[in-house]
Amino acid sequence: MGVEVATLTSTALRAMVPLTLAAVGEVITERSGVVNIGLEGIMLMSALGAAYVSYFSGSPYLGVLAGVAVGVAVGLVHGAVSVHLRGDQIVAGVGVNILAYGVAVVTLMRVWNSYGQSPWVPKVPRIPAGPLGEISWFFPLTLAVAAASWYYLFRTKGGLRLRAAGEDPAAAEAMGVNVFRVRFLATVIGAALSGLAGAYMSVDYVGQFTKQMTAGRGFIALANVVFSNWNPLVAVGGGLIFGFFDGLATYLEIVMRSPAMGFLLKTIPYAATLAIVSAAVGRVRPPAAVGRPYSRE
Amino acid sequence: MGPGTGPEPVVSMEGIVKVYRDGTVALRGVDFSVLPGEIHGLLGENGAGKTTLMRILYGELRPTSGRVLVGGREASPRGPWEALESGIGMVHQHFTLIPVFTVMENLSMVIPGGSLSRIGDPAVREKAEEIMGELGLPVPLDARVEDLPVGIRQRVEILKALMRDVRVLILDEPTSVLTPLEVRELFSLLGRLRERGVTVIFISHKLREVMGITDRVTVLRRGRVVGTVRTGDVTESDLARMMVGREVEMEIERRPPSPGGVLLSVEGLWVRGEEGGWAVRGVDLEVRSGEVLGVAGVAGNGQRELVEAITGLRRADRGRVLIAGREMTNSPPRELYRAGLAHVPEDRQGVGLIMDFSVAENSVLGIHDGPPFSGRWVMRWDTVRERAAEIVRRFSVVVPGLDAPARHLSGGNQQKLIVGREIMKGGKVIVADQPTHGLDVAATEYIRRLLLEERDRGAAVLLVSTDLDEILQISDRVVVMYEGRIVGGGRPEELTEERLGLLMGGAAG
Repeated sequence: MGVEVATLTSTALRAMVPLTLAAVGEVITERSGVVNIGLEGIMLMSALGAAYVSYFSGSPYLGVLAGVAVGVAVGLVHGAVSVHLRGDQIVAGVGVNILAYGVAVVTLMRVWNSYGQSPWVPKVPRIPAGPLGEISWFFPLTLAVAAASWYYLFRTKGGLRLRAAGEDPAAAEAMGVNVFRVRFLATVIGAALSGLAGAYMSVDYVGQFTKQMTAGRGFIALANVVFSNWNPLVAVGGGLIFGFFDGLATYLEIVMRSPAMGFLLKTIPYAATLAIVSAAVGRVRPPAAVGRPYSRE
Repeated sequence: MGPGTGPEPVVSMEGIVKVYRDGTVALRGVDFSVLPGEIHGLLGENGAGKTTLMRILYGELRPTSGRVLVGGREASPRGPWEALESGIGMVHQHFTLIPVFTVMENLSMVIPGGSLSRIGDPAVREKAEEIMGELGLPVPLDARVEDLPVGIRQRVEILKALMRDVRVLILDEPTSVLTPLEVRELFSLLGRLRERGVTVIFISHKLREVMGITDRVTVLRRGRVVGTVRTGDVTESDLARMMVGREVEMEIERRPPSPGGVLLSVEGLWVRGEEGGWAVRGVDLEVRSGEVLGVAGVAGNGQRELVEAITGLRRADRGRVLIAGREMTNSPPRELYRAGLAHVPEDRQGVGLIMDFSVAENSVLGIHDGPPFSGRWVMRWDTVRERAAEIVRRFSVVVPGLDAPARHLSGGNQQKLIVGREIMKGGKVIVADQPTHGLDVAATEYIRRLLLEERDRGAAVLLVSTDLDEILQISDRVVVMYEGRIVGGGRPEELTEERLGLLMGGAAG
């Protein structure tokens, strides 16, 4: 039993990383007043970019950098569309998600001549961690990113300005905040963290790229944002809870060895997400101006 | 005092022109300057361009042409952060505070500092406490702004500007949200600021306040400077005349009224405004069949809330509204329409039309859910289109087609569509709120004529307008609203513009 608990815990911890990283990034973006529902697409494309670079360079670290770079690139586009061109943020995000799937399939075909997955790619080495066996260094990194983001948002001047842009951009601007720049940067940083989450999926968590590997984690991360009440530290807790159900599904699948039940078990994380978010809504308070493009005059 | 001998202006603006993106010309070449250590009033009616001019000075708007000089050097600010940098602060009429932040957090917002620097710097708090002590401006620093009353929020705004050591402080209609006691406190605070060498620009339409507190006054009218005078050299009446002015007007023939029975009556109406305070304080009105009652006043004196309460868009807390003798207080709009009310709202794009709906759809809004436009379950689109075509023909609405979205119509044609729709309802009472605001001369004249035709048909027309020419031109009786009350009125031919200006400025009982 002790072994099983340990297995379940380490599975949950591993599943927690991408859910938390992407959620923390989106908390930063949404606190500034921009919604990016393209997390799923960013994660998928970053996972692909990381696998690609890791495969051809032999360095998983370069792969991680590539994943972040993909996130930054998408963030630049989403930021330009949402902030400067005042486009519809939901439509832009949906566009990213759809684009990502196409990019994944085409790249797999062109590069590896495969319909569904890449070959194995070099993985980031693990670090030993006592009873949990080995853990990914992404785990402490995630905690550090969440803590730093919390500190930035709630304890620094920059964080104050960022939150002001998401609460009342007109007032923020009147107080000397460059709303456009703040929102643009917050969008890029948020997308970069989703990119990091995607890189983790392919060059750490799994060790290859598959075309459906993100499996809705970008959307669960969005749910985690709401659950966290837009607080990066709470998002770690949310990541653990959502990660636990993810781990539970995997674990039960292995234990029960029933393919028929397998499909049902796979729905656990999603059903749990729905239930948790339904409970959270009404108790949380989103940034007042989130999703609304800002324009002067 | 000739040029070169007097003190250099702290700020001057030269040849400022502002044309908004929608083509509205707000400023038509304004020269404006303020001297160090003076309280300078900026007086004018709504739409005169006072706020636009000051938002340009504060860097929130870019002028279409013209330049801004600060301390003699050209410094057109690209944003408020640059204006603050050069020592110019502004307190907006609508507060620019983040409600969920504490006072300290709001104050920290304007203190420059690297984005990684910690908030809650004790030096910031010390400075705030020092200013509060010196100026007698107490504010609870750790309270959340959303929990503070309006008067205190304004102090936070002023404190916030002073945290940046501004040399020029712009106050936009600062007294509009204050109680008389708070106004007195504000004025003594402004006096203390002047003693410290801060230049104050005081935007207002209230004559008595401008007379009481300012050293010099610049009067704006329709985007132009009428003049800059020393306050001591003029009387309230002079300022009223400068503010209201008189322009060449269009001639509209008006038959003598033949008032019949009372169709709309409002008795002792009290209505709360957005901020929760009383916006309408016990208004009584009667409009008879065959007459136009004009409600004049500077915007923000309760007219909007009055109209909203009459038309069912806002709850009246006390008092009664009767339509054709039937008590209809706080009835839903649909029932009011059925009782014979027609409403031409102030916000034609937000309330009057659904911009993405077609001309046809918009032409039956409000009466769409009953015969002849709708059957039991489905709309009768051919009848709807017939009605739309009739409105378009009869009221000369220029439309690309009946299926074109209302968005594609010009402002004047949007308004004709609304007025046409409301008139076609054949109502007994027409409430028209700013019916010609922003329209060109031809459309303005046409709509005024239509309202008069409706009057002659026997409708009771309640015209609410901040445009005095409009009020005087088509009203049979006029009342003036000031701070939620009706402060006076009479027949248009008995009212001089001076008298109206004084009433609107709250300077005459």
